[in-house]
This record gives sequence, structure tokens and C-alpha cells, in this order.
Amino acid sequence: MSLEQISNTALIAAFFIYIIAFFMFVISITGKKWSNRDPEAHMKRWSRFAFGVTVLGIASQIIYFITRWIYSGHIPNANMFEFMTLLSMMIIVGFIIIYIIYRSAGTGVFALPVAFIVQAYAMVFPWEAEPLIPALQDNWLKIHVTTAALGEAFFAVGFATGLMYLIRTVNFSGTSKKERRSIKGVEFTIFVILVVVGFIGSVFLFNGMDYHAEFSKDVIVPAEESELELEQVTTENVEYTLPPIVKPYNSEIVSMDSYFGIQKPLFEAPFWMQGVNAGRKLNTVVWAFIIGTLLYYTLRLILRKPIGASIQPILNDLDPDDLDEISYRSIALGFPIFTLGALIFAMIWAHIAWERFWGWDPKEVWALIVWLFYSVYLHLRLSRGWQGSKSSWLSVIGFLIVMFTLVGVNLVIAGLHSYAGV
Amino acid sequence: MIQNTKCECGHQNPVNTVLCESCGKPLIEDQSMETLEMRYDGAVRRSQRENKTIIDRVWSFFSSVKVAIYLIFFTLCGASLGTIYPQESTFINIDPSTYYPETYGTMGSIYYMLGLSHTYETWWFKLLLIMIGTSLVICSLDRVLPLYRALNKQKIRKHDQFIRRQKVVYTGDIKEIQNEKDAELWVNEFSGILKKKFYRVTTDGRSLLAEKNRFSRWGPYINHIGLIIFLLAVLLRLIVSPWYMEEYISVLDGEIEQIPGTNYYVENERFIVEFYSEDELSEKTVEKGKIIPKLFATEAVLYECVKNCNDPIKDPVLEEVKKHSIQVNEPLEYEGLLIYQMGYEETPILNSVNATLKNRESNEEYGQFILEMDNPKSTYEVGDYQLELIGYYPDFTFINGEAGTKSSKPNTPAFIFSIHGPGMPDKGEINMYFPLPQHKVTYQEDQINIAAGSTLVIDVESMQDVDFSLYTSFLSARKDTILPMIWIGLSISMIGLILGFYWNHRRIWLKFNKNQLLLGAHSNKNWFGLRKEVAQALHKSGIEVEAKSLENEVKDS
Amino acid sequence: MKNNKKWVQYIILILFVVIAGVTLFSGVLSTDEVPEVGNFAPDFSLKGLDGQVYQLSDFEGKPVVVNFWGSFCEPCVREMPAIEDIYNKYQSKDLIILGVNLDEPEVTVQSFVNQVGVTFPILLDKNIVSDQYDVRYYPTTYFIDANGIIMEKKIGEMSESYLIQTVNKLIAVKE
Repeated sequence: MSLEQISNTALIAAFFIYIIAFFMFVISITGKKWSNRDPEAHMKRWSRFAFGVTVLGIASQIIYFITRWIYSGHIPNANMFEFMTLLSMMIIVGFIIIYIIYRSAGTGVFALPVAFIVQAYAMVFPWEAEPLIPALQDNWLKIHVTTAALGEAFFAVGFATGLMYLIRTVNFSGTSKKERRSIKGVEFTIFVILVVVGFIGSVFLFNGMDYHAEFSKDVIVPAEESELELEQVTTENVEYTLPPIVKPYNSEIVSMDSYFGIQKPLFEAPFWMQGVNAGRKLNTVVWAFIIGTLLYYTLRLILRKPIGASIQPILNDLDPDDLDEISYRSIALGFPIFTLGALIFAMIWAHIAWERFWGWDPKEVWALIVWLFYSVYLHLRLSRGWQGSKSSWLSVIGFLIVMFTLVGVNLVIAGLHSYAGV
Repeated sequence: MIQNTKCECGHQNPVNTVLCESCGKPLIEDQSMETLEMRYDGAVRRSQRENKTIIDRVWSFFSSVKVAIYLIFFTLCGASLGTIYPQESTFINIDPSTYYPETYGTMGSIYYMLGLSHTYETWWFKLLLIMIGTSLVICSLDRVLPLYRALNKQKIRKHDQFIRRQKVVYTGDIKEIQNEKDAELWVNEFSGILKKKFYRVTTDGRSLLAEKNRFSRWGPYINHIGLIIFLLAVLLRLIVSPWYMEEYISVLDGEIEQIPGTNYYVENERFIVEFYSEDELSEKTVEKGKIIPKLFATEAVLYECVKNCNDPIKDPVLEEVKKHSIQVNEPLEYEGLLIYQMGYEETPILNSVNATLKNRESNEEYGQFILEMDNPKSTYEVGDYQLELIGYYPDFTFINGEAGTKSSKPNTPAFIFSIHGPGMPDKGEINMYFPLPQHKVTYQEDQINIAAGSTLVIDVESMQDVDFSLYTSFLSARKDTILPMIWIGLSISMIGLILGFYWNHRRIWLKFNKNQLLLGAHSNKNWFGLRKEVAQALHKSGIEVEAKSLENEVKDS
Repeated sequence: MKNNKKWVQYIILILFVVIAGVTLFSGVLSTDEVPEVGNFAPDFSLKGLDGQVYQLSDFEGKPVVVNFWGSFCEPCVREMPAIEDIYNKYQSKDLIILGVNLDEPEVTVQSFVNQVGVTFPILLDKNIVSDQYDVRYYPTTYFIDANGIIMEKKIGEMSESYLIQTVNKLIAVKE
């Protein structure tokens, strides 16, 4: 087996081990009520098991990391696949640290899914290791990206426990305006997670079916960007790996496999989506929403109540104050690390590579926004006493901003960090 | 209303004090048993004092955390607006008033009109940053001084209510304790246990105060000081223009360029590019036909002008000061001046040719001469011949039927010589010369020369006689005097964050009323850890208690 | 002690007002030193094509037209005969015309001058004076009166009639 195969196998193994560990954490909590068992002993035993399995998972992921580093010749955090895998690994590291401090099996029930969903998301991107462009050939690549990811991972753990707090405390039978809003909020958050799952699912599904379609589109190169300093028209092709519900604005079909008996794209992207890839990205988003919505309503049909309400019983034995504290603690642990990695180290490296320590690049701005948001969180909590559900909502929103910074900025806005390869 | 600010313990407190500065008794009598508001230990903040003047009002506005939060929030929203479309600063050469509408349509023109195409230079964004800075200074001053005073003069014996209304509380009767002596012994023993947990313990008879990691309380303020230094540095950089310089220079392979506004010159001795070979790339990339550079570097020499600098008449006298291979992550550094590799472009351009003068008929060679494109000499000696350069068009073209030049770049260089020497007419034989073969054909060099009766040919023998510059290297020169202050600010801020977040200030108060033990504990964060520590300490002195149960039952509203 | 604190407050607040003012208006206050109409024309000295050194201040008391041009710029080439014409007509009225070439090879300049038959002084610049005068578009012509003050700045090609009108105005200005 080549090093590359070992590496990829270790990663897939880690992914499934995390799923197993997740179920074991669920059992450690729900299984307490199973007949003829001592609840305390059951929980202790199963959560110790689950924790052991998690450690096994991260060991496997570390094997992936090291072997990939060896065969590719650089630290695996240079493209989207590698970065997201690193983030998932760091979320597990964050979870392990929090677990060692608090010994709360409940944390695993939410932190592990966050980690393996991030891992699955990583797997959507091309797996191949590419050699580094000159800008990335520096030791700061190791330091900056890794610390930033660790900081973000703590925010992820904070998000997981914050969401747990909310699901645990929301009164799903409540009818007051405030309670209904909380229910809607929790359901919406779950829906967003399902949309992400829908995205991953649709990519894997159609890649498995080897689906292909291609469009061509005339693109006007503005005078400023063309060599001849004249406006030019060039034709660019886009390849779709998801069936085209939406085709790029003003484009021609080059080739297209039919799907569900559909021969032609149903819609065209709106005119203001100019770029050649804008149509493809919009199509992906549409698929993510379709599958996410399908998943959500199927689950609701099966469960016959809000999804949050069905998860709540699992969490009933957890102390909400503990969850609140854990959520806050992991954000407080992550904040200095994030500051160091995503801002200070970033500035030092930018100073070395890009001739300025700060240049208002979209990624930089969004890292700053994340930092400002969490400093609002901390001030509200420490100085204005926002605890419990208010603070948990902030931890949920905060992580959404983190994910936008990591994914959305690359998808929607480009900028200097665009080599991450979306 | 005149508030009675004298506590029953006899201490005179400033107006609006929440907890007596001395014994900790709540001064606002509300009879409730809620946990106490322990921020700044209940001391009065400067901005909370009465009798407000306008200055006081401004002061209290900026000292409010609520205001600070709003400021941060607005900055956050404002900053995000600037990422919708690329900022003007990302382009080197555009006219924003037409670029945004043309590229992004109506949305683009609105974006431009609102000034969002340069969000981070707008007055409102700068104002927000300055207000955050003001708020940082005032908030910190307003809190750190009272807190410092409060923590510096703590009384060991606290009021019952103060202890009972802490967030971590234990009360219980200990039967073994019969008299004051027993209680004192118990307190001493307990103090030993706490000392092992690195507490600094002071006792006063049957009362005890244990404290650790007080420095962690200064964390946020140290962080704020760092941020203030950072913001000031950024500000100074904006205002004091000699401290900051940025210039972009493009230097052709083999050329030398002055860094505008300085006495420095950079020479691009040689520009190197290497690409990854196919077997280093993944199959997909190779399939797509992408070429990825492995390395690009400018082998640069930095010169400093020592004489005739910026003199339009005389050539400057340059002195070499530094040699360095400039790469993306390895700028050239010289006395605070940094030169960075930004990028490169393939721009093949002719530098010079080593031309040969030949007889048109016999091909007999008379000699060679070097002809430069940049600033050619006006006469050349070749063998017995004298070549007088009477015309040079770097970018040859016909303008209204006459010879002219499109630009000053040698894209289509053309020379007109008047040749004197043996067998030449008196006023010289005219010869037109295009160094590049493709132009010889386009402009029919031979036909023109033959028609003019030329008997000589100027030509190059081989490609070795042609000197090309293949690449233009894009460099950027920076001078940022204030940079050390920025790094110092950030380091201080980071130290503050670490102190504030990875340690927490814990205090335990304890007293006996007869044989009833009263224990209260406070931490600025991480109550979980504090409860565990208190439970462990109590366990060691023989009191079994579940850590969780130490939490004060009375919740804050 | 109370008074002391009040002073600290005042000082801090004033400091911030000053900082805010300086930052917000620094853009307005710091005018780039671009020569504008009504300003004194910055002095310079350049080598001429004839080998002589020309200094602007040498012509104090006389009206001067400074034309920035290049042989690669079509409008510059087109307006050259008109300028030459004016030069010949107004020489008796002490009008000085200086043609500042934009960093072209000497040979190119010389051959152009021969071709067109320019007789007024042509100066060779290495982008130093053109930077000083903020020349971004070609041709750019500065009309400097006898007092050394810029009376007019023209960007773009000039017609002969425009030249005559402007030069007449320029000559009318006395010391």
C-alpha cells in the first residue's frame, strides 16, 4: 500500500470511528434508564468507552496527517480538503480538552457530529495534494493555519454545547411569543445543519453516479484586466457535477446527462450573477436546500414533532448550567488562541509575504468580524450578565459567522486567500 | 436625596457604592437574598458619581460597556459591508466611478455612491475606530482604579450577608467546635489546606480570607492597553507620513529602477522562475493544463544614491548597499526599508543586439557593434566605417504616412543610420535597420534599403547576439517605522488575554458564628473549577459535600 | 485630589477630540504638492538637446510656456507645428517656450526635432520634472506669467487659435 493509500484509509477510518463514538456517547446517556442497570455505573462505563473510541479516532486522523505530510512534502493544511480535515481534527482536540476538564459525556453527543460533518464536508473537495505555490512556502503556514483552526475548533465546541443548552431548555410545548420564537430558532439551526448535510449528500450521491454536464458562456473581460487594454470577449466552460437545475446566465449547453428524465436545465441564473462559476455555485446551493428541506421534513414526518423536541429527551439528564458553563468555557479558551492564530500570526505572516500586516482582504476582514463578535459575546456575558439562552444563541450565531469566514468567503467573495481552492 | 453612605461597621463609603468597601455589607437595603453583584467588588465607578457636568456625561457615555458593545457591533457590521465587492485598493489602475457600475451594474453604482468601495477609509469607519479607542481608555480607567483600590484593602472579616450572598456558599454546623479556641484551630487547619492549593491566606481569629491569581483580574486591562497601543500605532502611521511609505516598482530583467520618493535604486540582475514538473502535480491539474510556479525570485541589488541625486541634468552616482534574492516570503531588508516580491509578468522585450556590418553582395564582414534599445549612442565605429544614428523609433509605425513611434517601449525598434566610409557617398549612405526578424519582413527592410541604393547590410549572426529581458518583476517597497510599536501592542494584548482567560481570580471568605461555619467563595470565571476546589478543601477537613450543591440556590433574576 | 482627576478627564477627552480631528481631516489638510493654477511654478533645471542647461528661474520676468511632450504621443506631434509657429511669431515679445521631452532616447528626440523642424529649446527629462509637475496625460502645457505664477494649465492637444489667445493673455501680465 502506498503512503497515500494508507493516509486516505486512515482518514476514512477516523471518520467512521467518530460516528461509532457518537453512538456510544448517545447510549451512555440514554442507556441510563435501561432496566436492571445502575445508572451511574452505566454512564461512567459507556462514556469511558466512547471517549476511548474518540481517542482511537483522533489517533487514526493523526496517522492520516503525518503520512500525508510525508508524501506531499508539506503540512496538510493548504487546500480546502486539508484545512477542513484539520478543523475537524482540532474540534476533536478541543472536545477532548473540554471532556478532560468537565467529564461531561453529553458534550460528545453534539461535538462529535460537528466534527464528522466538518470532516464529511472536507471530503467533498478534491483530495489530491498539490505542491505549494511560493506564497505558501513558509513556516508560518504551519503556525498560522493550525492555531487559527484550533481557536475555531473551540468555538465549534462552544457552538455544540450552546445548541445543546438551547435544545435542553427550550419549552417545546410553550405557546408564548418568546417560546415560539425560541422553538423556531432551534428548528432553523437544525435546518441549516441539515442543509449542510444535504450539500454533502448531494455531492456524494451524484459523484457516485458520475454525473456530468457542461456549459459554455461568453465572458467579457473588462479593458482593465485584458492585456490589450480593450474589452474582450472570451468563451469559458463550466463543468457541473450536480444536475443543473440552474444553468449559468446566458450560457449554452455543451453536454448534459439527463436526470430524472429531465433533459434541459429548468432555470437560468439571474443576470446579476455574472461570473462563469456563479451559476454552478447557485446550482449547488439549490441542491443543498432541496435535499436539506427533504431531509428536514422527512424527519419531521417520522418523528411527528419538532426535531429539537425529539432530541430533548436525550439531554434531559444534563444540567443546563453545566452546558452553559462549558459553552462559555470553550469560547473563553478559544478566544486567545483565535486572536493569536487568526489575527496576530496572520498579521506577522502577511507582513512577511504580502508587504503589509493588514490589507482589508475579505478573509482578514471576516476574521476580524469573528473576533469582534466573540468580544461582544464576552463583554455581554462578563459585564452585562448575559448567560443561559441569550449567551447560547450568541455562541450559535458566532459559529455560523466562523463557518461563513471559512467557507462562505471562499465561495462567495474571493480575495487573496482564494488558493484554498473552492 | 441624601443617601446614608456610612456603613454600620463605621466605614464612610462614596455615594453609589454597592457593597461597603470595608466589610462588604450590601448598602442598598433590598432584603432580597439574591447573589451579589461582585463586579469591581461593589466599588463605585468614576462615571457613576453624582453631580454630572457635560464632561462627566461624555465620560460616562464612553465608560459604558453597553456603548462599547454597540460600537464594536457597528464596526463589525460596517466592516462586513466592505467585503461585498472588492475594494478600490485591490486594483492598481482603475477608475472606480466607471468600474463598479460596469462590473456590477446598478448594485455596483449604489455601492460606489455610498462610498463602500473604500469602506475602510470612510470618515464613519475611522470615527468608529477612534470611538472604540476612546471607549477602551475610558472604560478601563473607570474600572481598573476602583478595582485596584478595592482589592488592595480587603478586610478579612466580612459581613454575614456578604458571605451568604456569594455564588458559591456553604453553611453548616460543626458539632466538635465548642469554643472560640476550637474555631481558631479549625480555621488554621483549613488555611493550611488552602495554602497547599496555592492560596494566599490571611486569618483574623475565626475569620479567613484566601485568595489566588489576583493578577488574572488585570488581564482584560492589560489586553486593553495593548489594543490602545496598537490603535495609536496605526493612527500615527496614518498621520506622520514620513514614517510610512509604500511604492510599487516594476523592474525588467537586467534593469535598474529608482524607488520613487527615495534615494534608493533597485537592480533586477536576474529574474528566476521555476515551475513544478508534471510528476510533482496531481493528475487532475496536469489534465487541466495548469502550470504552477514553484519559485520566483528577483536577484536584486539595492543601491543608494550618494551624489547628483534627483538631478535632472547629471546621472546619479550609485553605491551598492545590499544584495539579496527577493522571494515572496523573503523580502530584502535594509535599514527599515523592505522590498517585497509581489509578482511577475512575462514581457519579452529587446535590450540590445550585437549587430554585424556586412557587404550586401559578398557577405564580407566589416565588424560588430553593440546597439542598445534603451538609449542608443549617436555614432558607432565599425571597421573603417562610421555609422551615424540619425533616427530611432522604439515602437515603429507610420503616423499619417510618416515614420513615427507608438510608445517609448522598444516593441518594434527601428533605426536609421547614415553610413560613412570607403566607397560611401559624401553625405552618407542611408540604411534602415529592424533588429527583430519579424519586423524586417513586415516593413520590408531589404526592399527599402535596396531602393535607397544601400550596399551594406546590418544583421545579427545568431540568437546569442540578441539580449532579451524575459520578465518584468513587480516589487513593492515599504518603510514602516511604527511597526515595532504595532508588534509590542499586539504582544501586550496577547499577554493580557492569556492572563485573563487561562487563570482566574478566586477568593474564599470564611467565618464562624459560634459553631456555625459560613463560607463564601467568588471567582471571576470558571465557577465549576471553584466549586470543585472548595468541595475538595472541605473534604480534606472532614466535611463531605457535593461540588454541585455549593451553588447558591438563589438564582439571579 | 478631586480637581486633579477632573484634569485627567479633560486631558483625555481633549486628546481624543484632537486625534479624531486629525485623522478625519488629515485627508483634507494634506494637499499633495501639485502645482495648480495660481501657484508659483516650481523651479527646475534640465539639459537641452543642444547641450546647454536651462533653468526656469533664468527666465524670470518673461512669460514662459512649458510643453510636456513625447514623439510617441500623436496629439503632441500634431500640435508641434503650431507651437513652433507661435514661437517664431512671439520671439520678439520675449516669449519663452520650453519643450520638455518625456524620457525618450536622445536620438529619437533629435530625429523628431529634425523631421518637424523645431527651433525652440527641447529639454531632456528623466521623469523627474514631469513628476514634479504631476504630468499624467500627454501633452500637458503650463503657461507661466512674468511673475512666475501658473496662469493656465492645459491637458490635451492645443489648437493654434487657443495658443494665440492664451499667449496674448500671458503677455499682457506685467511684472
